[in-house]
Amino acid sequence: MPEELQVRQAGIAAITDLGRRGLARRGVPVNGAADQYSAAVANILVGNPRSAPLIEITATGFALSTTRPVLVSVTGAPAEVTINDRLGRMWEPLCLEPGTTIRVAAPTGGLRCYLAVHGTIDAPTVSGSCAPDSLLGVGTQLATGATVGLRSDYRPVDHPVFRHPLFCLGAAPPRFPDPCTIDVTDGPDIAEFPTGRELLASATYAVTPRSNHIGLRLAGPMPPRLSSAEVLSRGIPVGAVEVPPSEELLVLQRGRPVTAGYPVIAVATKIAQDALGQLRPGQHLRFRYRTVADAVAMHRARQHRLRTLANRVCTVFAALGISCRTA
Amino acid sequence: MAPPTWQITDFGDSALLAKAVGSGPEHCWQAVQRLADALEPDDRVIDLVATYDSLLVEFDCDEVTHTELTEAVHRTIAAQPTTPAPLRSRAFRIPVVFGGSCGPDLPAVAEELGITEQDVVDALCSREFPVRFLGAPAGAPMLDGTPFAQPIGRCAQPRVAVEPGSVALSGHQAVIYPVRSPGGWRLIGRTPLKLVDIADEPYVPYQPGDRFRFVPIDADHWSDCAAQIVEVVDA
Repeated sequence: MPEELQVRQAGIAAITDLGRRGLARRGVPVNGAADQYSAAVANILVGNPRSAPLIEITATGFALSTTRPVLVSVTGAPAEVTINDRLGRMWEPLCLEPGTTIRVAAPTGGLRCYLAVHGTIDAPTVSGSCAPDSLLGVGTQLATGATVGLRSDYRPVDHPVFRHPLFCLGAAPPRFPDPCTIDVTDGPDIAEFPTGRELLASATYAVTPRSNHIGLRLAGPMPPRLSSAEVLSRGIPVGAVEVPPSEELLVLQRGRPVTAGYPVIAVATKIAQDALGQLRPGQHLRFRYRTVADAVAMHRARQHRLRTLANRVCTVFAALGISCRTA
Repeated sequence: MAPPTWQITDFGDSALLAKAVGSGPEHCWQAVQRLADALEPDDRVIDLVATYDSLLVEFDCDEVTHTELTEAVHRTIAAQPTTPAPLRSRAFRIPVVFGGSCGPDLPAVAEELGITEQDVVDALCSREFPVRFLGAPAGAPMLDGTPFAQPIGRCAQPRVAVEPGSVALSGHQAVIYPVRSPGGWRLIGRTPLKLVDIADEPYVPYQPGDRFRFVPIDADHWSDCAAQIVEVVDA
């Protein structure tokens, strides 16, 4: 039986997921949650598949009301979460009773928060994903007063002593320091920048206001390039650090055009891409070089932690009679 | 001509770039497109981007190592036929209103080339353009081989919004913008046809290897084919 959640304050919020994969050859970028880790954890914490639709809130406050019991989680940038008038914890499941409003204040120290709800949020999909794509003209932006359809078999659980269920599942929140450290590996064109590695590793860059979900523009020293030859258009992954002829470095985000013709000096690691998705204009960052082997090892370790968390959630939910689809 | 050889390099922790070298541009492009066809995304390969002389292979580094995937790509290359069949090529006819509000940069492009606007239009409409690959935004057909001696410069200031169907030039390349988007290429005309339909699968009916021919139409005939999807005229 589908039911509805009411958006009381939308700010800048949209329904998204982990992105639209497999279409890059057809010129369609992956898009999806800018901070994939926080989005995946939010879903795992409510027993959903990692790629389930959830709400991405950008830089603003957000409030949602429910007339039925729901299980939610909030992850991402640090923000004050309140359930009616009581504080709620980020990075843990939260049980909302009928007639409750959950508020997520504007984040501090990062850019985006994720709100996941146990069950399935209704959102139209294109090629299997509900992720907004501004160029294809698809996606669901939320407005104040809008409703969000939900199908969920969640039934309220109760703590025998404290009345309010309190979870302690131990999801690991990332840190949001300023300046932020962005791990990179060498890009395919590093040989064209003889001083590039030293410069990138020692300088501090600032995120400029012209940054968006397509690319972050970074103000700071530009590495001198040996060649002035044009690079033939080629496929470029998310995280590529491009050196255009202008005065700013360009770090590609998930809405990037799939091809580009600027030299690529470095590539942000999978883990660093999530940190980049949380940077706001004015924030500072430093680059730190990693080997590809180290970057892969760190990604694998984090994926292992996510699987462990998913197993823990399923064990706890099974004991409470909450359905779990994190596998 | 000898088939290309391949240079495969790491592109971050989750991608490889396979570059075809040592053969002519046409051979390299065909080899790249064929390799992409043979690699189709699966559980390990997440996404592919095949352009002129290189193929980006994005993968899940939790599932497969760079070494394993590099070897798999080399095996796929080795399994390709030595005398491959030509790429499938279908012809598309693209009616275009040149100049005026549809192609505001046509006068400046003609002046830059030192020829008349009509000369530019006639030259562009006198030949077919191969679709090299589908690029941004939203599956834009990347065409090349414009019949002008000198490359065409980009706009000094990129436009914030280019209308869908706009035909644009840069260097020796041409493109049609499938959707409204920002753009820095020089606009010389616009087709009333629709290129992209997200309700359809695939979104665009053309693919790398197909051929586009521009046909000049009068602005009065815009409504004759407005919003119709582009169609194959010769398979």
